[in-house]
Amino acid sequence: MNAPFHSPSPQAPATAVPALDIRHVSKAFVVDGKAVEVLADISLSVEAGSFVSIVGASGCGKSTLLRLILGLDLDYAGEIHLDGRPVEGPGPERSIVFQEHRLLPWLTVEGNVGAALLHSGLDAAARRRSVAEHLELVGLEAFAKAYPAQLSGGMAQRVAIARALANRPRFLLLDEPLGALDALTRLRLQGELKRIVAYEGATAVLVTHDVDEAVFLGHRIVVLHPRPGRIAAVLEVPEEARADRSSPAFVALRDRVLELLGVSLGEGRAR
Amino acid sequence: MSLAETLDKPAFDQSARAGTATASAARRRAGRRGPAGPTPLGSVLLGLSFPFALLVAWWWAARLGLVPEQILPAPATIYETLSSLIADGSLTTHLEVSTHRVLVGFGLGALFGLVFGAAAGLSPTVRAFLYPPVQAVARVNVLAWMPLLTLFMGIDEPLKYVVIGWSAAIPIILGTARGIENVSPAFRELGRVLHFNTRDTLRLVVLPGAVPSIFAGLREGLANAWQTLVLAELFASFEGLGYLMTWGRQLFQLDLVIIAMIVVALAGLAMDLGLRWVERRAQPWKRGTRDVH
Repeated sequence: MNAPFHSPSPQAPATAVPALDIRHVSKAFVVDGKAVEVLADISLSVEAGSFVSIVGASGCGKSTLLRLILGLDLDYAGEIHLDGRPVEGPGPERSIVFQEHRLLPWLTVEGNVGAALLHSGLDAAARRRSVAEHLELVGLEAFAKAYPAQLSGGMAQRVAIARALANRPRFLLLDEPLGALDALTRLRLQGELKRIVAYEGATAVLVTHDVDEAVFLGHRIVVLHPRPGRIAAVLEVPEEARADRSSPAFVALRDRVLELLGVSLGEGRAR
Repeated sequence: MSLAETLDKPAFDQSARAGTATASAARRRAGRRGPAGPTPLGSVLLGLSFPFALLVAWWWAARLGLVPEQILPAPATIYETLSSLIADGSLTTHLEVSTHRVLVGFGLGALFGLVFGAAAGLSPTVRAFLYPPVQAVARVNVLAWMPLLTLFMGIDEPLKYVVIGWSAAIPIILGTARGIENVSPAFRELGRVLHFNTRDTLRLVVLPGAVPSIFAGLREGLANAWQTLVLAELFASFEGLGYLMTWGRQLFQLDLVIIAMIVVALAGLAMDLGLRWVERRAQPWKRGTRDVH
């Protein structure tokens, strides 16, 4: 497989055109006849090949932001551009992994991954190859003929990751993709996700409320404050912190993010 | 539908088997039998135990002369009558005539029900147009229409087909429409993300998602078809199991009535089992779910 092997540095050249450009995005829902603002003036640009983690408490509009980037909801103020073009709906260059695996129960593992390639323009042989390659990438080539009900939660989520990547998207959106998994599986999949995204060279936006995950996976961390969701801080993740979960840099950054999220560390340590 | 629901019990078993790997691992820990319920053989035996007990009670009651022979004939009498009905071929004829009526009527009802149910499920406009009359008609027993229908259609076979088809179509329309309406919005959203066209969405999201509800409608429709068959044959027929009942009642030969009842029940059960077999074949993802890791 000759996928471009990106190893993007957090300090991308300043001249690069942002792959994803979010400008002054605000979004409100109407609840009981009243407008409730969920996102307020979000501006963020992400350069190609980098991995951005968005952290925030529940209800800060994280998932809504991903839906807007995906083009599932076009009713908002502000602009979202991909490579300089405004988002007008879902497109094959973007894909998403949801919190639940959302595999179609009636399709086998390979059928589910293949469903992402129906309109890829590839012929049947090339589609089969891509499915096989991506199942191998997530280590599930032996389960190609299994149905989702036969898989564990972690395996199902790996299939969902393979499905999201099968069409070689340039943008990978991750909506708390590991949130429903047990702690051990989550740690293991965080490592896999980092390897896979780097291998595919996709630009990734991860939404999570797990601060460790945000630090471990992201080149940058965007901290959101809730009601309405707004950017509190954007932090660069030093390479040292991404590489080692027990490094002082990792711990320092995690504590900084937790503090920004309003978690009192003193109490946490006392327990 | 009471018949369909009573016969539904083993479906339990099936959904448990289709559970996640975690569930099956838990069952494995709990041993082969598990807390989910009796084994397949066990549930068959359990299902047969009540009719068997009833048979024994009946046999004893007849033997002790607790009930007059004219009112409740002994099982032995039933057996003799059954043998002679089989021997002279009349039971086979009645069964064939009735089965033919059910199959044609149910076939018409299923065709009509699936088409209109699908249209109602897919299009809110069709639903708004179709639902009020269907819901209203569903509340009037089809027998109430018989006098009116007879004026239009006469009293021959077409009347029976229409009445049986009518009673079958109503649950099929509702089951199909409901199945399609209730397809998970999360899967529809997934379809948008994966750029499914209408055909993909129907084939990969809507139809497989609606299968269980469609089959629930078909099975209820089939149960309705058998019930209506008997009533239609009581009303206007010279052949068939319903006619056998009327005839037996008029001659005060209750053994004939009981035999007809048993044959109707068994024929309905057999066809329901057939539908369930088709349902399982139509959903391979629920079949043979086993641990593969």
